[in-house]
Amino acid sequence: MRDLFFILFLAGMFGLGLRRPFILVLVYSYIDIVSPQRLSYYLLNSVPVSLLAFAGALGGWLLLDDKTDCRFSRRQGIMLLLLLYCGYTTLHADFPVEALTKWDWVWKALLFAIFLPLTLRTKLRIEALALIMVLCAGTIIITGGIKTALGGGGYGELNLMVDNNSGLYEGSIISMVAIAIIPLILYLSNYGTIYPPGRLTRLFAWAFCGACLLIPIGTEARTGLVCAAILAVMLWWHTRRRLLYAGLGALAVLVAIPFLPSSFTERMDTISAYQGDESASTRIQVWKWTLDYVRDNPLGGGFDNYLANSFTYQTVQKTETPGSVKVERVTVTDRGRAFHSSYFEMLGEQGVPGLLLWLALNLGTLVQSARLYRRYRNTDRAEHRWVAPFALAMAQGHVIYLVGSLFVGIAYQPFVFMLIALQIGATTYMRRRSSEADWRPIAVQAAR
Amino acid sequence: MIDTFSLLLTHGLIFLACWRLLGRDDLDREESGPATDLLGRPLPNESERTPPGA
Repeated sequence: MRDLFFILFLAGMFGLGLRRPFILVLVYSYIDIVSPQRLSYYLLNSVPVSLLAFAGALGGWLLLDDKTDCRFSRRQGIMLLLLLYCGYTTLHADFPVEALTKWDWVWKALLFAIFLPLTLRTKLRIEALALIMVLCAGTIIITGGIKTALGGGGYGELNLMVDNNSGLYEGSIISMVAIAIIPLILYLSNYGTIYPPGRLTRLFAWAFCGACLLIPIGTEARTGLVCAAILAVMLWWHTRRRLLYAGLGALAVLVAIPFLPSSFTERMDTISAYQGDESASTRIQVWKWTLDYVRDNPLGGGFDNYLANSFTYQTVQKTETPGSVKVERVTVTDRGRAFHSSYFEMLGEQGVPGLLLWLALNLGTLVQSARLYRRYRNTDRAEHRWVAPFALAMAQGHVIYLVGSLFVGIAYQPFVFMLIALQIGATTYMRRRSSEADWRPIAVQAAR
Repeated sequence: MIDTFSLLLTHGLIFLACWRLLGRDDLDREESGPATDLLGRPLPNESERTPPGA
């Protein structure tokens, strides 16, 4: 039944794409985020839908789209360099087989992110991509949110439709993404034109944001809680009545705590007491290992080179018995522990050049968002009023990503590359618009 | 049950959004750019212009 549903849905979407080729770009984004192949049982697995959609999107753009004043931004150049560099490290990887497996999806994510801004020529296209991206993430988030509200959560236990713990379906990643897209959801509910602001749109947006906030609780991913706290501060900073909202926020937290599952509060307690937590102490060991590794191999070890690490260390274990708590030191040996941080993931796998490129890409995105925001914050032109709130939502989402990246290895997350592409699209679009606005005929220039 | 609800809701919204895009001319082309040529003479109307690539 589910297979039939996906086939009909995709057939319908491809059909719409034949009328408007840009929709094929949206179809590819959908397939990349939701991975319907993973949700269906057999039929879709045998058809390369992803390849078909990409070929359609690229072909539609090459043959039918207007390419006047098509701009290739600096950040697209950085992504191209990163792609080439990742190709180089894959050829010289410490673990060639594993590296090739990761390269297989990383190159696609990077290539699509390089291509995507070229298609974002109109404001409506930017909005459409943003809308489809949040709705695609919503497929996973709404399921997880409802299940959490009904008490189905737990660390590594929340069922997000598939057993396969990869892509956006992984607990820490979806909890970071769910928080990062909240500003974008709010923006779309206030400035959208496909679903214009109205009671129903706002109701859905608020319910969606509620589901997003439930995801870190359901997955019990500590990163999500840290991200939610940062988001709360950022949203609060941009409110007019800061004192009122600070009071309301504190009250909401106090009211919510008794409703949180005890396993959640216990796990969140370990944020400050990391010595007692194996996962946290291992992270610090892996990070030290990465720094040592890069000292000897500054060009990086290729994808998944963390498999080489191994260390023995002592951690504190508490055993609670009625009436007493037994604290003892335990020796633990770990092998092949993942980086658990995008910064160290980049540094270890792609070395210093890769990390510098990645930082330039991400900081560039933040800086450009801030510039757009500042430039259009006080605009008096009605057609530009959407720019500052959009830029702010993108910047806030990106800050969440960069904070979440401290604790989760999501340096090559396709969804984030798409968000960066969306931001590049908005920047180049506004550059085009402002150069058009500055344009004066020669006759006028000569008369000056 | 919950999975089905979520799938139907989001996929319905995605499809409806794309359906609405079909009727929007500003998806592919916006009213923009100079309304005059380099010498400041008014350009012909949108419908009178030769389509790109023709």
